[in-house]
Amino acid sequence: MTDTQWQRYEVFEKERPDLPHRNAGSVHAPDDEMALENARDVFVRRPNCLSLWVVAANKIFSKTVEELAADSSWQDAPPSETSETYLVFQKQGQRQAETFVNHVGEVEARSPQEALGNALNKFSDENVYVWWVCPSHAVTRSEDSDAASLFQPARDKEYRQPNFYRVVTLMHELKASQQEARPLDEDML
Amino acid sequence: MNVYAPNALTALVLALADDELILGHRNSEWTGHAPILEEDIAFSNIAQDEIGHAILWYRIFENLTSRDSDYLVFFREARDFSNVQMMELPKGDWAFTMMRQYLFDAFEMTRLKHLTTSSYQPLADAAAKIRTEEIYHYRHTVNWVKRLGLGTEESHRRMQTALDQVWAYALQLFVPLPDEAQLVAEKIFPNSDEVKSEWEAIVLPVLNESNLIVPSTRTPACASREQHTEHLTALLAEMQETARLESPDVKW
Repeated sequence: MTDTQWQRYEVFEKERPDLPHRNAGSVHAPDDEMALENARDVFVRRPNCLSLWVVAANKIFSKTVEELAADSSWQDAPPSETSETYLVFQKQGQRQAETFVNHVGEVEARSPQEALGNALNKFSDENVYVWWVCPSHAVTRSEDSDAASLFQPARDKEYRQPNFYRVVTLMHELKASQQEARPLDEDML
Repeated sequence: MNVYAPNALTALVLALADDELILGHRNSEWTGHAPILEEDIAFSNIAQDEIGHAILWYRIFENLTSRDSDYLVFFREARDFSNVQMMELPKGDWAFTMMRQYLFDAFEMTRLKHLTTSSYQPLADAAAKIRTEEIYHYRHTVNWVKRLGLGTEESHRRMQTALDQVWAYALQLFVPLPDEAQLVAEKIFPNSDEVKSEWEAIVLPVLNESNLIVPSTRTPACASREQHTEHLTALLAEMQETARLESPDVKW
């Protein structure tokens, strides 16, 4: 049977200047450009966003700390001839609200395995549960010039806010009038 | 002349608003039915944007005429809507929806650019706000047009059929409104011929690049915004049903 599902991309979103790009979730897309658009549509409808990255999930080399402790044979993969830049990500918490995989920096390496080895040496592993590395060239990034059309309109689309439709205020008014009415009802009993 | 629009400027603003409303409503029919989840979100988003743009135009209309826009949307008859027929055509297949939206997005890109310098400031302000979102809409739909045009045999066939069906309707976008010359002279609104040549400069290369053949007709499917197809009546029946069931001052 042919798999007609588009490939999966991991999405990284930077919400504030002082925060790193962090994994927001994933989207399916036929190619890199559409993946970036789908990421925008799925993850940036309302919140602020400064920059988006997408990378095909199969370009990410990933190890949990348990996998690292159990087996070191992954290090034996032969490196390629040339070195390139890899991005390094860490999942730094595992409670419900801390499932972010954060971008922590870059390493130069000749293979994903070497990149992970270099990352383990370069970055602290304190409170790290999962490591991701991927080649920098595999990442599709939004441009600064995209912000005006892709991200900023979300900020002032008041028609997307629930209170634009007055439903909430109407409910408050109705509830308030009911509460005022209740003592009267009791008197009548 | 539309009975709700007493002069050239109000007729223009109502046409802008009705185009966005009817297209936005048509597009909203894809919510829950788009080909993939990501596109369902994206296209619902675009549909909501168009209705949001309609609200901006209706507000200007309200200020000019003191007409309540909720009334205009939910209690007008089909004959009093001034959208072009392209907007009211059924959503068709995904190819038709994408082609219609693409041709409209390219039109918006060109017309809004001119409107941002309108001598009537409320139009210029609204156009500036809408244009940033239209840049994204255009980017989204041009990507679909190219991919479907150059995709499989079936996707190409469906896109060519869609283009053949919608092209003459798209040409109605460039039919001047009655008294439009007055608005052009006052630098409120751009010349439709100029907008059309700029639109063609955008869409013709993209359609060609997508391996699609532009129909030879130069005649718009309809020359007046006062004429509608039976599809608008059906659309309004659904869109207005809930509002018309209740008295206008009901709270729910």
